[in-house]
Amino acid sequence: MSAIAKALPRLRPEEMEDPKEHLMHDPMPRGDMNTMVLDSMHTATWKYWTVVTILAFIVVTCLGYAWYYLIMQGLGVSGDDRPVYWGVFLVNFVYWIGISHSGTLTSAILRVLKIESRRPFTRVAELMTAFAIVNAGLSVFMHMGRVWLAYWMIPYPNERTIWPDFHSPLMWDFMAITTYLICSSLYLFLPLIPDLAMVRDRSKGWVKTFYKILAIGFRGTEGEWKNLHLAMNIFAFAIIPVAFSVHTIVAWDFAMAIRPGWSSSVFGPYFVSGALLSGVAAVPIVLFLVRSTMKNMKYFLRPEHFDTVGKMLLIISMIWAYFYFNDYIVSWYGGDKWEKILNLFVQTGPQWWLWYLMLFCNIVVPWSILWRKKWRQTPWLMALVGILINVGMYTERYIIVPEMLTINRMPFTWHSYIPRVEIILTIGTFALFLLLYFAASRILPLIPAWEVQEGQEGHILRKIGKARIPTISEID
Amino acid sequence: MSVSNTLLAVFEDIEPAADGIHKLHELGVADENMNVISGIPIRPAILERPSAVTRVGQIALAGAFLGLLLAVFFVWGIPYLFPLDAGGQPVYPWPQLLIIIFEMTMLGLMGFAFLGMLVDSGFPSYTPKEYVPDISDGRIAVLFSCPKDEQKKFVDALTKLGAKSVEPAEARQL
Repeated sequence: MSAIAKALPRLRPEEMEDPKEHLMHDPMPRGDMNTMVLDSMHTATWKYWTVVTILAFIVVTCLGYAWYYLIMQGLGVSGDDRPVYWGVFLVNFVYWIGISHSGTLTSAILRVLKIESRRPFTRVAELMTAFAIVNAGLSVFMHMGRVWLAYWMIPYPNERTIWPDFHSPLMWDFMAITTYLICSSLYLFLPLIPDLAMVRDRSKGWVKTFYKILAIGFRGTEGEWKNLHLAMNIFAFAIIPVAFSVHTIVAWDFAMAIRPGWSSSVFGPYFVSGALLSGVAAVPIVLFLVRSTMKNMKYFLRPEHFDTVGKMLLIISMIWAYFYFNDYIVSWYGGDKWEKILNLFVQTGPQWWLWYLMLFCNIVVPWSILWRKKWRQTPWLMALVGILINVGMYTERYIIVPEMLTINRMPFTWHSYIPRVEIILTIGTFALFLLLYFAASRILPLIPAWEVQEGQEGHILRKIGKARIPTISEID
Repeated sequence: MSVSNTLLAVFEDIEPAADGIHKLHELGVADENMNVISGIPIRPAILERPSAVTRVGQIALAGAFLGLLLAVFFVWGIPYLFPLDAGGQPVYPWPQLLIIIFEMTMLGLMGFAFLGMLVDSGFPSYTPKEYVPDISDGRIAVLFSCPKDEQKKFVDALTKLGAKSVEPAEARQL
């Protein structure tokens, strides 16, 4: 017996996990929690306004003016030229669609699986979806050049009998993204209703009127809760296949073309895994920013939440690597002349470093850091990992779009792509994303207070032997 | 038949609210004459209440069907009106049409789930309603009807069980 006791290493008291470290086991009176959420919305320092002003300036100049310049001068001022007709605008489009998977899809999966640690950060993630899709849409409009003709995509009878061609993957894309945008926005709004009602109850004057309109008359009766819960469940289950379809169709924009590097049967799931990787990697970045800059957020967003996202990232990174290798090995083994030339170009051409950067950021970084719990629970490190993975995923999209378009079956057309006005517009889209987020943080409660309170209600600490064991009861 | 009065009892927590509802049952208040208003969803069984009836599921299914019909119009009606020869493919290529049908059906399903939630809950509504703002801070309100001449009996019973206030329900602007 004593030999067994000796063999088992014992944790020192200070190393043992305190159940109170978990938000669900550290409840506070609901009124106080609501006050904290409201405080975080209403407290804005001069730093906040400085950042917002700078972002607004960047949006006006880099997005507004540069786009005006693009429209007035035409697509000739971009780097798009034969054979690379899809440049950074399309890279941005794929990237932002990927980021959009961070919120709605992640939130839906966690909700369906009843992962309790999701509760405080689902909205932070869902907001990213809405703003990312806005940016994805803008990127397509920029790429269109003649943006004022965008309505030609809408199927309606017109005098010229011009109808959309449903044979085209671009049209499928339009349908899928429209569906995803509408459904994600509704899915964001549904769980917001009770929190908007809470803000309404604690506001005065025109602010109260504003939230009264947004809260649409919600009181919290049994019928209202039942309807809300059922609608949220329908959305959570239905939006998962829609999100998968969106990025699969984005992949088909490429894969349906019979050209080296693109025509691959695994492009759909490969793109979905990539979207999940970049999207989920964006979550710790935003969580870190919200936690460090907004009042009271350290109570809601704890190391355990970074831990949850870290585990997801590690698994998704492995899935991405699996699909990438699948895509790579088949084209490599196939021995097709043009595939060989393309692979050589990507790995040893003038931008060879992009390929290594992609592998480093998407595989080496997460696999070497995210296996350790202590590191997963370090917010700044998780934010850094998130940034690096996003750099890796942006690079991957850059390789897929302009780099792979450079090499085709007509060598006399080979021509390197150099982005021009696209760089400015890309900076503008990133600034717009942040600006929308900063604005939303003042208008909407970033923490779903009622969901946190509902979760805390269902969690208890059971005493088993000498330990207090966290337990969750079935509450929904 | 005596005239009935609607009262609003406010409780601090779930336990006294559950006891209060049990007492109301004992005093002869039927479930359909009662409603619970809370800041977080509470399982009906916890409060000894029947599950609320909802039509959101049926409305969502109807929406999915409408979405399907619209998709059918898009993928068959539009090529019929304006046939396009694209890459030697048939005018009605099944694999591609399934994509549009899937997207539109899901849009109909979720769009109508949202509309169903609005319609079944009577949203948006900006008319005065029986409510106290404390509910969003954790209080639980029980709205019930009782005979006017027995009002005192109900008030006393619920106050004894821990109700913070039991008052005639007054519709007010939210």
